[in-house]
Amino acid sequence: MARKMLVDGEDGTEIAYDYDLFTIGAGSGGVRASRMSASHGAKVAICELPFHPISSDKLGGCGGTCVIRGCVPKKILVYGASFRGEFEDSKNFGWDVHGDITFDWKRLIENKTKEITRLNGVYKRILSGAGVTLYEGAGKIIDPHTVEVELTTGETNRFTARHILIATGSRAAKLNIPGKELAITSDNALSLEEFPRRSVIVGGGYIAVEFAGIYNGMGSKVDLFYRKEAPLRGFDDEMRDVVAKNLEGRAINLHPKTNIVKIERVEGGLKAYTDKGQEIETDVVLMAVGRKPNTNGLNLSAVGVELLKDGAVKVNEYSQTNIPSIWAVGDVTNRINLTPVALMEGTCLAKTLFGGQKMKPDYENVPCAVFCIPPLSVVGMSEQEAIAKAKNDILVFTSSFTPMKNTVSGRQEKTIMKLIVDAETQVVLGAAMCGPDAPEIMQGIAVALKCNATKAQLDATVGIHPSAAEEFVTMRTATRRVSPDGQLKSI
Amino acid sequence: MAATRSAFAAPLSSPTSSLRRPPHALRLITIFPSARAPNLRASSPDSFHVFSRFIGPRASYASVDTGNGSSVSIDEEFDFDLITIGAGSGGVRASRFAANLGAKVGVIELPFSTISSDQTGGLGGTCVIRGCVPKKLLVYGSKFTHDFEESRGFGWSFESEPKHDWATLIAQKNAELRRLLGVYKNILTNAGVTIIEGRGKVVDKHTVEVNGKKYTAKHILVAVGGRAVVPDIPGRELAITSDEALDLPSQPEKIAIVGAGYIALEFAGIFNGLGSEVHVFVRGNKILRGYDEEIRDFLADQMTLRGINFHFEESPLSIEKSSDGHLSLKTNKGTLHGFSHVMFGTGRKPNTKNLGLEEAGVALDEIGAIVVDDYSKTNVDSIWAVGDVTNRVNLTPVALMEGGSFAKTVFGGQDTKPDHVNVATAIFSQPPVGSVGLTEDEAIDEYGDVDVYTTNFRPMKATLSGLPDRTFMKIVVDVKTDKVIGVHLCGDDSPEITQGLSIAVNAGVTKSQFDSTVGIHPTAAEELVTMRTPTRKIRKKDTKVPEAVVGS
Repeated sequence: MARKMLVDGEDGTEIAYDYDLFTIGAGSGGVRASRMSASHGAKVAICELPFHPISSDKLGGCGGTCVIRGCVPKKILVYGASFRGEFEDSKNFGWDVHGDITFDWKRLIENKTKEITRLNGVYKRILSGAGVTLYEGAGKIIDPHTVEVELTTGETNRFTARHILIATGSRAAKLNIPGKELAITSDNALSLEEFPRRSVIVGGGYIAVEFAGIYNGMGSKVDLFYRKEAPLRGFDDEMRDVVAKNLEGRAINLHPKTNIVKIERVEGGLKAYTDKGQEIETDVVLMAVGRKPNTNGLNLSAVGVELLKDGAVKVNEYSQTNIPSIWAVGDVTNRINLTPVALMEGTCLAKTLFGGQKMKPDYENVPCAVFCIPPLSVVGMSEQEAIAKAKNDILVFTSSFTPMKNTVSGRQEKTIMKLIVDAETQVVLGAAMCGPDAPEIMQGIAVALKCNATKAQLDATVGIHPSAAEEFVTMRTATRRVSPDGQLKSI
Repeated sequence: MAATRSAFAAPLSSPTSSLRRPPHALRLITIFPSARAPNLRASSPDSFHVFSRFIGPRASYASVDTGNGSSVSIDEEFDFDLITIGAGSGGVRASRFAANLGAKVGVIELPFSTISSDQTGGLGGTCVIRGCVPKKLLVYGSKFTHDFEESRGFGWSFESEPKHDWATLIAQKNAELRRLLGVYKNILTNAGVTIIEGRGKVVDKHTVEVNGKKYTAKHILVAVGGRAVVPDIPGRELAITSDEALDLPSQPEKIAIVGAGYIALEFAGIFNGLGSEVHVFVRGNKILRGYDEEIRDFLADQMTLRGINFHFEESPLSIEKSSDGHLSLKTNKGTLHGFSHVMFGTGRKPNTKNLGLEEAGVALDEIGAIVVDDYSKTNVDSIWAVGDVTNRVNLTPVALMEGGSFAKTVFGGQDTKPDHVNVATAIFSQPPVGSVGLTEDEAIDEYGDVDVYTTNFRPMKATLSGLPDRTFMKIVVDVKTDKVIGVHLCGDDSPEITQGLSIAVNAGVTKSQFDSTVGIHPTAAEELVTMRTPTRKIRKKDTKVPEAVVGS
């Protein structure tokens, strides 16, 4: 089956493999690593489960979580949900929308599925265009140089490879509570047959707040339950409060420090019980309580691949496991679980293995976005993180303003921006923004942080008027100065 | 630059002392302040604050306004340390900063009107009253049409077509302008700046006249801005400019817009979005002279797809009104009938007429702009100018920078040149443009060896809306240093995306640093950090014929 047999001459022995690289999982990281490896001249194969919007041990699809049940469909639904705000905002700008505006969930889901199916095809073409052989089926590792694929045709094939890459991603987890089988995860939430008039969302992470915005924008009554005081643990505390305030301002019912303990089916829907004695009737309970690496069924323990406590594949800084010929990238390693990070890891791996250049992924100043409505985006350190890691005093610059559009629309929602600066070196350590276009704005700021921009350089940059982003270059006075021991100091 | 240092700034020895008056001022007699604040009526709600400032630590150096226009000074020979003519972006910033640095400042501005003339203006200036702000509000208002169209692909339906009411939009816009006017007034009064309403004219190098009353000042700052020009063709009085276009009593049914600069294109987008039939008349064969060539083509295509009619190489010769009240536009190619409005977006001119500048010996250039040095000083030592009246880079944030630098130089004891390099710009056309640094052609001229990265893609929103919207991005890299020397974007959110990039470009970012930045997914902006293969590699030897990169 191999076009040509490859020779491994490193240790003098000549071992022939079917492939230079065999990748299990054609998501963001796997496709990138495979494609780049092929472009470096390696002979590459990849296996992936058959396409389906809802993932399982038997179903997946080229493109992976990002394309099929993550970033892409989520953002499409966020776009869809954001229109409600636009319609509301349009009134004071002179627009009269006569009669009813109606929203057709089925049409949106149909269009969304059409788009992700198209993208699934694009990914397949990317692979074939790069000369990567795709096998459809479930892969598992037999030994450090052998992968077995249970093809959808029914047959099982074994392939040898000089390197094996695990890029199987992760899957949404559920709370272990009575009635959990009645709950859905984000997979289903992106493909529900009927639009829920009422939704209970469990979780305070980015997936939970994004779906709260999506369902709310489309007209569902949303109740959001999370364990902590504020959603989005790990983000800057001030920004977490802003997000909570905005969710509430858009009529989402927040239930901080509240857990769902039981779900029951009742007439006309479901009933969720909280640990505070509340009972809430709802059409769906969406559990967005975290994701687990997909390491089951890969036969990893038999081969001796070390896993972390959470089931993630343990890798070194080059994405190599404890078995020298087995590597892993993306969510299955549970480092920073973002598509662009998986892409970076994949690219670095291909360079390391076949590009003649050992290359580590760089986890410094990785920006990210939460597509709640309005969105949050950050790069670098939060205020808390900066203080914890600080050697010098930290200057915190904040700006809270009414975006120009809201001055006419009347929407009571402020945009908040924040810069964290090392008071000695003047280097910008972190930036955050919650407001319209925050993710688009933050990308350029992230580039600036990559070149170690100082506050003086931000100040020397002329604003683009009128934009929201210009606030980032016009914050002249620090809001507070904090010493490394967390004490507020006079500015 | 000591030569340009003002007498005021000279005695100051340290940056901190610059925040206070010179020590010798303290020996002066305190004089009841109401006598010395020109045009400040005790009944005005703002005056108390101003007075309280005067009575405070600064009260001790006051000069006396004798009330007849001639001033007597006890220590200082001038009524003011600074008089600014024009309270637009540059004038307000300079005045406020100067006052914060301890200067006694007066600012002269014409009474408010949405349409500017020799008699009307208003606090806030062009940007706030008839430029950036109202323009952007109208862009927001007009863009909803696109939102409505897009929303259908996302499952939304309307029982009947959304209708727009121009009067509501204009009333809302004007309400916001009035609010901002109040904000500007507060900014000035809170800073202790005296506002004088009227038309300021320079009498001599230290004297300004307003409403027949003379005020003296150690420094005079001219910040009177620019105004739209209309070419001298028959029927020009039938046409409007951007001033009127922002405050029309009714929405144009069919409008001819003459010009292809950013103002013309922004208004084309506004009126097209609100449902007017829009025709744009372009003298040359391309829009947006001065911008990157590919951006120019791309934007014209996108605007055409949204329904705007471009008439290239077609210039107006005359305008006539027909019996039915419609306007006809005669051009070098024929006559077009049935316009409800003809608008000129053909450029702006500095407002330097009848300001007494020539008499005071202030040098003007051939288009009437005030000639200034790097520190915004004219050839007359005590007269300075910032903003559009100097016709450097005519943008609000640049005027703010010039105003801030002026105040620092003259009153802060710190010579500061405004830096006009790598000023990012935006065009709020639909779709908008964002740009920083050199165009491809400029980069080739200046650097010779240049790598150009481009991408032209369908944004995610368009994949569901089904609309033909696309986004174009370009990065220009100096091969020798790997520095990014130009970034040009056209597509949704381009202005917002450009701001952060402009910080990086100012900080000397390299292409490798772009590449090492992790993308934010899914955004349009992430494309900028994922452009790995140059579209063109241009080398000195073949600058004329760019080599296409095979396989890119």
